[in-house]
Amino acid sequence: MATAATTMHVEVVSAERAVLSCEATELYARGIEGQIGILPGHQPALIALDVGPVKIVLADGQVELIAVHRGLLFVDADRRCIVLADVAEPASGIDVRRARAKATQLEQQLEADPHDEVLLAAMKRNRIRLEVAEAASIL
Amino acid sequence: MAGSGQIRQLRRRIRSVKSTQKITRAMEMIAASRILKAQRRVVAARPYAEQIREVIAGLAIDNEVRQHPLLQVREVNTVAVVVCTSDRGLAGAYNANVLKIAERTIREEESAGRDVRIFVVGRKGAAYFAYRGRRAERAWSGISDAPEVDSAAGVADAVMERYASGEIDRVWLVYTDFRSSLVQAPVRMELLPVKPSEFEGGSRINPEVIFEPSGADLLTRLIPRYVESKVYHGLLESSASEHASRQRAMKSATENASDVAASLSRVMNQARQDQITTEISEIVGGAEALSAG
Repeated sequence: MATAATTMHVEVVSAERAVLSCEATELYARGIEGQIGILPGHQPALIALDVGPVKIVLADGQVELIAVHRGLLFVDADRRCIVLADVAEPASGIDVRRARAKATQLEQQLEADPHDEVLLAAMKRNRIRLEVAEAASIL
Repeated sequence: MAGSGQIRQLRRRIRSVKSTQKITRAMEMIAASRILKAQRRVVAARPYAEQIREVIAGLAIDNEVRQHPLLQVREVNTVAVVVCTSDRGLAGAYNANVLKIAERTIREEESAGRDVRIFVVGRKGAAYFAYRGRRAERAWSGISDAPEVDSAAGVADAVMERYASGEIDRVWLVYTDFRSSLVQAPVRMELLPVKPSEFEGGSRINPEVIFEPSGADLLTRLIPRYVESKVYHGLLESSASEHASRQRAMKSATENASDVAASLSRVMNQARQDQITTEISEIVGGAEALSAG
């Protein structure tokens, strides 16, 4: 049972799909009320996440960075960790150049109709994508 | 009688029917693959919707959900109708069916003396209302083919904002439910106000749980996510239905093209036979006239 005590099961679920399901040893995220770290055996918790990267250290030592927007972190008593988020994208999958190009394109479209909710939402998501990609390159 | 001119005309028509058939067959196959993709997205989006509902239901036991602005039930004066249609046609009765339900909803609300505001997704729906001299308060295009979460969030934001500010008092979501690739039913659902009964039956959250921020605050944040996921679901179902409808329409178009081509080539063969017969009898007649002379 030695391994069971040192790892936890992490699931990342976005509104579009289940992004990640893995065994991990550490998880760090930016909560609304501050940075938090979760280790296996953490007390159950329900935490609202701020926009930003979630860092997951997998059981084999690899690090996974995930861009999260409007997320919720749920830790339950049997060492399960669920990240629920409107948007969750692995940082490695973000193409910075394309995101930048999209930002300029969206800005132009917004000039024509500054109140279009769909464009605004796309804009917001794109900005997060860029932020996370930048954060990932620093980390 | 059948001259070579007629044969040439028939041949041209057959060629044109066959090339149209190639297009409809291609569209049918594209639609078929898109149905699968859309269905997969419906399934992939399910865990999130379920988890969100579960967490809200759990929180709702110890916190009062009724206070939330999106659950406020008011006297209904203004109603919003959100209609999900497609951007492109050639999808059989898909748009007509969903617009029929929308039209009925609008008529019902108006005859009850309420103001109706229309929010429409898809170019076809926008054109329908524009033609009837109704201005949609918001019309979005380019999102119904393969809906994304942010587009759904945008649509949801538009109505949630107006609901929270008291501008509208009820929101209908009209979309097409994908039951199977043969059956798609247009449906309408009351999106707002959210009914407290939707969050019943949750299991109480373990009292050891740390809430950050407080449970009530979390609830306030989560309810809009829940509404968004419903809109997203409606858009996904609609897009699967659109592709299924198009596949069926294009399948029957392809079959009809086969029938038309077959009956045209029958007519053409007959014309050719007639022409040959005429020619033979002319030759035979000519030869006889020569030998007789």
